[in-house]
Amino acid sequence: MDLLTLTKVNKAFGSQQVLKGLDLAVPQGAIYGFVGENGAGKTTTMRLILGLEPLDSGTITFAGQPVRFGQTQGIGYLPDVPAYYGDLSAREYLTLCGRLTHTPHLHERVGEMLHLVGLPDTRRRVHGFSRGMKQRLGIASALLDRPAMLLCDEPTSALDPAGRREFLALLASVHNETTILLSTHILSDVERICDYVGILHAGKLQVQGPLQALLAAHTQPATCFTFGTETEAQTAATLLGAVAKADQVTVTADARAALTQLLAQHLMPTAFNPIKASLEQLFMEVIA
Amino acid sequence: MRGYALILQNELILAWRRYRLVVLALVFLLFGIEAPLVAKLTPALLKSIGQGMTITLPEPTSVMSWQQYYKNMTQIGLFVLAIVASGTVSRELNEGTLVILVAKGLRRNAVIMAKYTMALLQWVVALLLAFGVTYAYTAYYFPDELSPHPWLALWPLLWFGVLWLAIIILGSTLSKSGFTGFLLGAGVYLGLTLLNMFKAVHRFNPVSLTNDNLALLTGTKTFWSLAPAYAVTLAGAVACLALAMLVLKKRRL
Repeated sequence: MDLLTLTKVNKAFGSQQVLKGLDLAVPQGAIYGFVGENGAGKTTTMRLILGLEPLDSGTITFAGQPVRFGQTQGIGYLPDVPAYYGDLSAREYLTLCGRLTHTPHLHERVGEMLHLVGLPDTRRRVHGFSRGMKQRLGIASALLDRPAMLLCDEPTSALDPAGRREFLALLASVHNETTILLSTHILSDVERICDYVGILHAGKLQVQGPLQALLAAHTQPATCFTFGTETEAQTAATLLGAVAKADQVTVTADARAALTQLLAQHLMPTAFNPIKASLEQLFMEVIA
Repeated sequence: MRGYALILQNELILAWRRYRLVVLALVFLLFGIEAPLVAKLTPALLKSIGQGMTITLPEPTSVMSWQQYYKNMTQIGLFVLAIVASGTVSRELNEGTLVILVAKGLRRNAVIMAKYTMALLQWVVALLLAFGVTYAYTAYYFPDELSPHPWLALWPLLWFGVLWLAIIILGSTLSKSGFTGFLLGAGVYLGLTLLNMFKAVHRFNPVSLTNDNLALLTGTKTFWSLAPAYAVTLAGAVACLALAMLVLKKRRL
C-alpha cells in the first residue's frame, strides 16, 4: 500500500517549469531513494509534499488525505541545511517542536531522541554544534512526534565520509518506525540503505520501483577482461567492438562468446570479472 | 493559539539571551533619567558657558522635564525600537528557521502575531520604564502643579506604538533585509509628519498622537479630542498586520 502518492504534479517558478506531471508513489515502510541531478526539483517536490509550496496542478495524497498548502500533518522533515535558533539548547529546541506537535510525555521523549541521535542532554547551545550534530538534531526533531513518514532532503551532502556513514546508519536504524523518503544525488547512499528508488529527470520521474528489480530490468550484464599489456587490450577491444581503458576491456555481450572469440585470436586475458549492475549505470542510462 | 504562545515564549527567551531586553531597558532608563536632569541642569550649564553674558532663562519646571521626555521618546525612542524590531521576521526568512516549525504545523499567522506582541511588549515596558523614572525625578526636582495629567499624556504615544510596530513588522515581512522594516517605518513617519501640515487632517493623523502630549499634560487639550486619530491608528495597525500575514503566507520560507 502506498503511503504517499503524487499524481501529475506540476510546479513552475516564473517561466521555469520545474515539475512536469510528476507521478511518484512511496510504499508504506519503504526507504525510498529519490534521486536526481542538482536542480532537478527534488527539494521542490519535498516542499510540495510538506505543504510549504502551493501546487500549480496535480494532487498529492498522504495517508489517504490530500495535502494542501499550509497544512502539514504527520510528516517529519529534515532540510538539507537545517536552521535552528542558535541560542537554544538541543533539549529546548526539541521541546519547542514537541509542544507544537502535542507530543505526549515530551520530557522523556526528548531525552530518548537525544540519546538515539547521540547528542548530549546539556545546556550547550545549538550555535556551537558541528554540521553533523546539527543534522542529528534535525533527525531528532523530525522523528520526535513519531511521524508516519520522514522526508530527508540531501541530508548527507554536507557531511564528511565518517559523518555520512553514521548518519545513514542512524537512518537505517529508524526504518522500522517510519517510512523514509531520502532525496539525494549521492548514489552510493541510496545503494547502501534504500529498497526503493525513483529517478527524477526533466521534471518527471523516469523510473521508479524496487531497487534490485530496476537494476535487473534496466542494466545489462557486463564483464571486464584484463590483459597482460595495453596493446593486447587494444587489439581485444577492436575485435569485440568495445573500448579499452589501459589494460582492461569491458563488454556487455555474452561473456562466454567474447572469451571464445578472444581465444580464437590467441588473446588470453589474465583475468575476467563479471560487473555488478550499479545504480550509477541505471542513472546514467535514464538521464542520457 | 498554541503556536502563538510558543513562539511568543521563544521570542522572550531569545530576546533575553541575545541581550536585547537588557540593552533596551538600559537605553530607555537612560532616557528616563536624562529628561528631568537636562531640564534641571540646562540653566546652570548655559550660565557656565555664557560667562560674562547676561542670559535670562525661565525657571525650569515639570513641563520642561516632560517636554524633554517626549522629545526623547518620539525622536529617538521610537527609532531605537524600530531598529530592534526591524529584523524580527526578515531574520527568520533569511536564516530559514521557520521551515522546520511550519512543517510541524506552525501557522504563519501565529508567527506575525507573536512577533508583533513581543515588539509591543518591549515598547510598553521600555516606555513605562522611562516614564516611571522621569515621573519620579520630575516630582522630586520640580514639585509644581504645572503638569496635572502625566498619565493621560502618555496614552497617545503608547497608542501610536500600536501602529508604529505593525508597520515595522510589515516591512520586516516584505523583504529579507533587516533594514526594510526600519525604512518603511521611517518613510511612513515622514509622510504622516508632512501630512500634518494640513490642519484638516490633524485630528485624524496618527502622528498627532506623538505631538500633542504636552497639551494633554497641561490640560489644554482633552484626551478624547484625539479620538479620530486613535481610531485611524488602530485601523492602520490592523491593516498592516493583515497585510503582513498575507505576505508571509505567500512567501517562500
